[in-house]
Amino acid sequence: MLLSVERINVSYGRARVLSDVSIHVNEGEMVFIVGRNGAGKTTLLKTIAGFLSPEEGTIRFGSDKVNALGPEEMALKGVRYVFQDKRVFTKLTVRENIQLAAYAAGVSLSEAVDKIVQLYPPITRFLESKAGTLSGGQRQILLLGRALIGDPCLLLIDEPTEGLAAGIIEEVFKVLEMTRRKVSMLIVEQNLAVVRRLADRVYAMKEGHIVAEVNTPEDIQNQTLLEEFL
Amino acid sequence: MIDTIAYGLTIGGILYIISIGLSLTFGTMRIVNFAHALVYTVGAYVLVASLSLFNGHFIAASVVAVLAVIPLAYLIERYVIRRLYGESIDYAIIATYAVLLIGVDAIKWIWGAIPIPLSDPVGKAWNILGVELPLYRIIIIALSICVFFILELFFKYTIVGKIVVAGLEDKEAVRSLGIKVDRYFSLVFVIGSCLAALGGVLYAPITTVHPYMGFQVLLLCFAVVLVGGLGSMRGTFLSAFALGMVMAVTGRFWGPAAETMVFVVMAIVLIFKPIEV
Repeated sequence: MLLSVERINVSYGRARVLSDVSIHVNEGEMVFIVGRNGAGKTTLLKTIAGFLSPEEGTIRFGSDKVNALGPEEMALKGVRYVFQDKRVFTKLTVRENIQLAAYAAGVSLSEAVDKIVQLYPPITRFLESKAGTLSGGQRQILLLGRALIGDPCLLLIDEPTEGLAAGIIEEVFKVLEMTRRKVSMLIVEQNLAVVRRLADRVYAMKEGHIVAEVNTPEDIQNQTLLEEFL
Repeated sequence: MIDTIAYGLTIGGILYIISIGLSLTFGTMRIVNFAHALVYTVGAYVLVASLSLFNGHFIAASVVAVLAVIPLAYLIERYVIRRLYGESIDYAIIATYAVLLIGVDAIKWIWGAIPIPLSDPVGKAWNILGVELPLYRIIIIALSICVFFILELFFKYTIVGKIVVAGLEDKEAVRSLGIKVDRYFSLVFVIGSCLAALGGVLYAPITTVHPYMGFQVLLLCFAVVLVGGLGSMRGTFLSAFALGMVMAVTGRFWGPAAETMVFVVMAIVLIFKPIEV
């Protein structure tokens, strides 16, 4: 088991946001989390990424207990968090965005650029453009590529297709498909079409709890089962 | 009028050099740092002390004064500022103001409270269109422009600069890459403090060195930073020179209103472009 979250509780001040949440991700797996707004999906990803600390429960990465690690330490362990809202560094060029990730991962810039070009060849045209001028889809692909630099073990991806047009979602889907099995992924996603095409397993969340685990291909493809949770 | 413009540019240059650290500290750490005025004052006093050590050699004494504030800046960052990350802005104001007050009392204890005048270190003037302008002021203007371009190059071409630019925009995203961005912000804090000390050094021969000199300049620097945009390096540069000119031109026609007019301009800017803290 690559990631194991065991009965964690997380609060913002006095407000309990996650209650008794347990999930796991195996090596090479693509696991999705679905649920309505406010269900606690982003909080769960942020807690695993090290931005929040659980008050109770345990998070294990491999055999290590990682409850107290911050996001920098988690990133260096190979856990990368891809924020929602396409948060690229808009004032830096695309190449400079990649450079920061390469610097942090200790790989050369040319190697890092090559890796992202392999995932999405059209990005070569934008390398010297400010990242703020990219479209939403291009930003998302840059973020995914940036997170993949340095061969991480686990990507935590928050709503990768949110706000994207259908054609662009297909581009993002291709990138996710290309990296499938090379790296484990835990993805928060509301677009059930994407979930059905890619998921190995799905967790459903409601009001800070895990309310279901859908782990058979038949159930994942079931047209009504997952919709109950949205 | 030429001397008014030269005076405005001189004040603008000094305000820029002092304000850039204040602006970067707010931009990177979201902390309003009143202790910046203490570093500025200490810079001026160390200059006074070093001048006697170096037989009046201004450049050597200035270098010592700028470098001498590094340990002070480190201590303020490590033991005050770093504990205020993520806290309410009120705590930062109270804590750094307390540091300023303690520091000013320490200065009075060490050097006394009597103002110390310094003479023009260059002592030459250039004749521009029939007006004698002190060469020292022209050097200050040139130096502030050099500082601007050096900082531009630093933030554009070095990895540390790029990390800080990225961190100014989205600190969490930089952290998620595995970069301990607070270390880079600390470095920026020390650089900003050295520039504040440089401002104190440059302004000392124009005014007098006294324990409360930091209070006076601090309010002007806040006006510069607010008008230029919190954390905006280019905005701070333009704002410093614009407000320096406002001070100089107002002072030419109505001396007592020179500083007041800076805050009138600040108020007008805030009405049309309120800050988001």
